[in-house]
Amino acid sequence: MSYGLALIYGVLKIINLANAGFLMLGAYVTWWLFTAYHVDPLLAPLVIIPVFFLIGVGLERTLVRRVLGAEPIISLLLLFGVWLVLQNLAYVIWTGDTRSIENPFVESTVKFVGLQLSVPRLYVFAMGILSLIALQLFLTRTYLGRAIRATAQDRDAARLVGVDVDRVMGIAFGIGIALAGFGGSLLSLLFSFTPDFGRVLSLKSFCIVVLGGLDSIVGVAFGSVALAIAEAFGVRYMPASMQDLISFVVLVIVLVALPKGIVGTLRSLRRG
Amino acid sequence: MADPILEGRGLTKRFGGLVAVDSVDIAIERGEICGLIGPNGAGKSTLFRLISGVMAPTAGVVTFNGRPITGRSAHDVCVAGVAVTHQIVRPFRDMSVVDNVMVGAFFGHRPRPRGRSGARAAAMEELEICGLADRAEAPARSLTLGGHKRLEIARALATRPEVLLLDEVLAGLNPTETDRTLDLVRTVRERGTTIVMVEHNLRAVRGVCSRIVVLVEGRKIVEGDPDAVLTDERVVSAYLGTAHA
Amino acid sequence: MARNAAFAAIAIAALVAVPFVAPGAEYALDVLFLIFLYGAMATAWNLVGGLAGQVSFGHAAFLGIGAYATAIMTTNGVSLWITVPVSALLAGVYSLVIGIPAFRLRGPYFSIATIGIGEATRLIARNWSSLTGGVSGLTLSSAPPLLMQYFAALALLVAAVGLAAWIRASRFGYALAAVRQDTDAAETLGVATTVAKTQALFISACILGVAGSIYALHYLFVSPDSVFGFSTSIALVIMPIIGGLGTVTGPLIGAVIYTFIREQLAATLANVDLLAFGVLLIAIVVFEPRGVIGIVDRIRGIRKRRPVTVPDG
Repeated sequence: MSYGLALIYGVLKIINLANAGFLMLGAYVTWWLFTAYHVDPLLAPLVIIPVFFLIGVGLERTLVRRVLGAEPIISLLLLFGVWLVLQNLAYVIWTGDTRSIENPFVESTVKFVGLQLSVPRLYVFAMGILSLIALQLFLTRTYLGRAIRATAQDRDAARLVGVDVDRVMGIAFGIGIALAGFGGSLLSLLFSFTPDFGRVLSLKSFCIVVLGGLDSIVGVAFGSVALAIAEAFGVRYMPASMQDLISFVVLVIVLVALPKGIVGTLRSLRRG
Repeated sequence: MADPILEGRGLTKRFGGLVAVDSVDIAIERGEICGLIGPNGAGKSTLFRLISGVMAPTAGVVTFNGRPITGRSAHDVCVAGVAVTHQIVRPFRDMSVVDNVMVGAFFGHRPRPRGRSGARAAAMEELEICGLADRAEAPARSLTLGGHKRLEIARALATRPEVLLLDEVLAGLNPTETDRTLDLVRTVRERGTTIVMVEHNLRAVRGVCSRIVVLVEGRKIVEGDPDAVLTDERVVSAYLGTAHA
Repeated sequence: MARNAAFAAIAIAALVAVPFVAPGAEYALDVLFLIFLYGAMATAWNLVGGLAGQVSFGHAAFLGIGAYATAIMTTNGVSLWITVPVSALLAGVYSLVIGIPAFRLRGPYFSIATIGIGEATRLIARNWSSLTGGVSGLTLSSAPPLLMQYFAALALLVAAVGLAAWIRASRFGYALAAVRQDTDAAETLGVATTVAKTQALFISACILGVAGSIYALHYLFVSPDSVFGFSTSIALVIMPIIGGLGTVTGPLIGAVIYTFIREQLAATLANVDLLAFGVLLIAIVVFEPRGVIGIVDRIRGIRKRRPVTVPDG
């Protein structure tokens, strides 16, 4: 069932790529997680998604746009700064105590084919798949989705064919932030959290991207599964506190052996 | 050719299903200026990348001065004596013009220059030849396109190459700048550097190259004397379509 | 350049004199000690993050290794003369181990990977209880006299800054600057970019290893969260950026600012200082990415004519 979680991580990452490498969604997830504390978690996304979307657009307009021309380090640092602010704002407002959501839904389980399955996990899993599908459809079937992909590939060319690049970038960023918030909201159903939460997530989604290759949703899905499997194995052999290490170990191994990611390597092998 | 300075045999590069360079044999004679032409997408820049080590070929070998350099890293190839310029200029924007060239002077060849002053002197020499000496301290990003192109060349020259691969160095230049750059190319050759130029400006190519190689869709279709090649019907039809052949 | 050297000499002389001129001012010495230490650490980070342009969010790993190595060795009676260099070396070796896979990544991807590296190192320290004492960490038995610590930190700072200045003007510095600007173009000019990055990382790690040693001997306590923590890594990033990424004096300015803000704010709410740094970071990045040095330049009317490799001053 960690597959569903991994899917979420992957979804978050894909939008990043559409934004030419901007990264930072983990912080928003963290922030969200504390908001979920007060609202029925299943309904929370109804608020989260639009609000975060607007925040994302606003952020892009005010800050991100200013650093587009400079070295990529600069935009990375900017987003890191935003993350820092959010994380510490969360500490200040909600303290570093571990929080979790406790209500009947979160604790419920269901019997299915002889297994005791956790309802929230199923829910998250389902949501994860739905989001992935929705995202894929959006990016490939709608005008806006294609405009986003075009802008990600070549900003000037997109401008030339009539894409309102400024608007598109704002929207893409907004979507990314909204998805992050959504993801965090889902995750809050499963885990207890502190403001630190986003950091580990970031690492995992990054892992997935490296595993799956950098440019396809299929790759991300593959990477998610791979990571989930690795984690499942890890649970058996490693003490719980070491589990986060798994992502890292996998990452290093893949980086050293297969710089193009598993999917990328498979692809080039297949085409000879 | 008896003793080519640079030779590629059976060079092939595949990207997934696409064959960008298809079994190309190319031999460059010492001291010549050889033109490499062909319609867009013919694989010319890719061929340069294979030779200069930026990319490893899927198949084939590259020899330089008789020794194989296939698959060696770009920095090794540069130090060995083959330098390449980029089709889309890549200056070190925040560094000064002379600092840009000093990078080439410091790293591109052995023996190393004597300290910073040695590298600077070498860099200034190349800047003189390229007509950029007066802009030496300016940040590289302040140059015009013509200036950037000459900076690319100056940087490459600072590595004291035996062979210089120029990738569309005339693209985007007006006639005056084009002539200026062609003069520069001739000067460089007179200093003893062999030159291979990828170009679309066919008139310029005819004017300065002693030999032309034509690539179409990754394959070499003809090579030889400029006038003969440029009027060859295969070449004409490749560029203009068969109706004009 | 000569003017710079003269200023530096005067400053160093003054700092050396402080303990003798004001022997009772323990608090001041303590603050200066911290500034020296942070300054050295920030300078070390700047070699990789500023000069070479490889922003690492996991540099605390090297500090931690130096600190733990020192804790373990001194507890076993190893003399300081051996402990400190060995700590530095261990940090350096670790940097090679992680640098090789990490440098296969470019730009933001490298940076993210370093977050993972820092985290993983912390987790290893946490779990390898037999070696590291696990979550509760290790204590050291005795500290060298404060005066000795003061001069050790000052010496490290001078060494680090001197090294940074020398590198910046040297052939190696040109390689790093080229790597920062455009790694692929640098390769075609003969720069062995991976080697250069790795060398910078090694030097950076060794300096941090010594800093870790000094840290351990000062606080007499090391734990995974204190030395390997993400907030430490963050600090190493913030200082050079606020001061001036890629410059020689930038990290020092950043260290001073950092120390003062920390001292003032940490007394209030726990995370307000980091919050302030986040805001400061955003402000710097958006308005003057070249940090305080950039602001100073603007005031002095020097527009961005000054290319990256010219030594400042």
